[in-house]
Amino acid sequence: MASLSLKDICKVYPNGFQAVKNFNMEIEDKEFIIFVGPSGCGKSTTLRMIAGLEDISSGEFKIDGKLMNDVEPKDRDIAMVFQNYALYPHMTVYDNMAFGLKLRKVPKDEIDKAVKEAAKILDLSHLLDRKPKALSGGQRQRVAMGRAIVRSPKVFLMDEPLSNLDAKLRVQMRTEIAKLHQRLGTTIIYVTHDQTEAMTLGSRIVVMKDGVVQQIDSPQNLYDKPDNLFVAGFMGSPQMNFIDAVARVNGNSAALEVAGQTIPLPADKAKAVVAGGYNGKTVVLGIRPENILETTGNEEYAFKSTCNVYELLGAEVFLYFDLEGANITARVEPTTKVRPGDTVSYTFDTKKIHIFDKETEKVIAN
Amino acid sequence: MVSSQILKGCLDELREITRTEFCLQDTAGKIVVCTQFGQPQPETIVSAFAESAVDSQIIGTSFLLKVMDDETVSFVLTASGSGDNTFMVARMAVSELQHVSAAYKERYDRHNFFQDLLLDNLLLVDVASRARKLHISDQVSRAVILFKVGTANHEIARQTLSGLFTTQNGDYLTEVEQGSLILIKQMKTKGDNYATLDEVAETAVDMLNMEAMIKAIAAYGTVIHELKDLSKSFKEAKMAMDVGRIFYADKTVISYNRLGIGRLVYQLPRNLCRIFIREIFGEDESAAFDPEVTTTVSTFFENNLNVSETARKLFIHRNTLVYRIEKLEKQTGLDVRRFDDALTLKVALMVCSYIKYIESQE
Repeated sequence: MASLSLKDICKVYPNGFQAVKNFNMEIEDKEFIIFVGPSGCGKSTTLRMIAGLEDISSGEFKIDGKLMNDVEPKDRDIAMVFQNYALYPHMTVYDNMAFGLKLRKVPKDEIDKAVKEAAKILDLSHLLDRKPKALSGGQRQRVAMGRAIVRSPKVFLMDEPLSNLDAKLRVQMRTEIAKLHQRLGTTIIYVTHDQTEAMTLGSRIVVMKDGVVQQIDSPQNLYDKPDNLFVAGFMGSPQMNFIDAVARVNGNSAALEVAGQTIPLPADKAKAVVAGGYNGKTVVLGIRPENILETTGNEEYAFKSTCNVYELLGAEVFLYFDLEGANITARVEPTTKVRPGDTVSYTFDTKKIHIFDKETEKVIAN
Repeated sequence: MVSSQILKGCLDELREITRTEFCLQDTAGKIVVCTQFGQPQPETIVSAFAESAVDSQIIGTSFLLKVMDDETVSFVLTASGSGDNTFMVARMAVSELQHVSAAYKERYDRHNFFQDLLLDNLLLVDVASRARKLHISDQVSRAVILFKVGTANHEIARQTLSGLFTTQNGDYLTEVEQGSLILIKQMKTKGDNYATLDEVAETAVDMLNMEAMIKAIAAYGTVIHELKDLSKSFKEAKMAMDVGRIFYADKTVISYNRLGIGRLVYQLPRNLCRIFIREIFGEDESAAFDPEVTTTVSTFFENNLNVSETARKLFIHRNTLVYRIEKLEKQTGLDVRRFDDALTLKVALMVCSYIKYIESQE
């Protein structure tokens, strides 16, 4: 069992720099939590405070109800896997995995049991006598994971553990980590700046920016119901398209005016626009690339743009064009006949439109 | 001098393998180590044998052999066993003891040599000759990386780092004070540069975090190309460590080459700093240490003196921020919305941090 509680956690350095501001979160046992955000957003600092490697300036951090603010890292029952790992070059895989426990004077038979179990989980049993130079990149990464597993911690803390691997190995190791979480059933907190990693691994994702939590939610909810412009833009690749639009309210119905076209809004979105008093105001319309549709001729409105770039990815095609000065990306079927220079006629899936307040950047309707 | 524990370990293992009993005595006959049933010889016999010209002697079923160190007798080994090979085993034991002693001596001497070199305790003329004697290459590029790990974690950090950086690779780990470890890192190829050093230091810090589970900070000096300049790199690493702790507390790896304004402030005489602080903050310096002021000003600087953006980042109303800025102006006469005043205040806060650090050290 390991539930974590972070209440009003702040990190302020002596020079006044606020790295983390009022971080609040309850993490349940066995959850796979992802901290994601651009560099400098405070995700690693938060992880290091959980690990005990950074002092907590204010707030309370508890593991299983016990206050951990002043507990040494070694006494927190955690294990870490960081970006810059190295294997001891003159030790075998077995000794590499056992070294941390030897440092802590764990009895030999316990070390042996732990190493062999971890090796079995990671499929390293046949490599225990090898030296690191005789291992592939993926095997080395697994040994590094093994060093954390042998500690049998309550919580695993991982800080961009895959960022030093090549693209192919990253994908492979990502799957391995997901499997590992299922097998071990331990709480994992994982830091990454890669939103694909975040979406595929996490049971819940914490999106951070400038030391502030922007949203905590499941991957699907973050994608479908972003709380603000930052989250909407950060999650998803290619990112959500943003276009300035003017809200028009007529009784209980509402529409958005973009490039001379009027987009009627579904009732739920219209209600939010009406209630917010946005009539005549400029808002930001957000639409995901897959929700831009080629016209069939029966639409209430349609935009026309010239296709600038055509990108074939095999199973899908990205089309790039401009609309009112905004760069638009559409994800379409590879059967599309559109090529660069062609005029594209397209419309939006109005049910999938997101509307944001231009000033506060907060969501009006998802 | 090799510890008795190491010598005992050698002889016990040999006994396990060969079933031969050993006893090691010094040249005066005093027992140094003995295996379980080892048979020590009377002191008179041992000292007479040590002074004799012969290499070995047989007394009953025991063989006496000399353990040499630089052509002088250091110990007398007695080997007792029933087998025909006892004499051969005894010679092997002597050979092992001599090599262990030589290796230990070399290591111990290297340790002293590097410590003397780092602390400038060696004459320049001695550096090259002692290095040659200890098989340390003189004309190799190296840099000093200093690790602050805390006194309580010194040993565990030493074990972790010594597993990563070995003498076989040309690296050397030593220490001159508790709580700090010094890595003399050999740059392997011509392409190795400060990016490599950064990577090495970051990896070492991450390993200390992950494996030893301790907080650690690393600082490194410039790359030197002659052994005699090692102390220069060490002093630079020490300075980088100090400057980093004062001005860049959020960093875990600090390079002497990238100390920014901190480098300048660190060099200022203390009196000058105090005069400057008094000039800015008057007699009441507390404003400089007020967390609200430091956080507000720091965020204001981060956001390029943009009031709206700073207010948004601090989650306060724009007017509250303006009020705080004006309050600071009343205290210091500096309006941080103006570039010149902002610059002065930035330097003043850095000077305050420096003085605060100096006072805490005193």
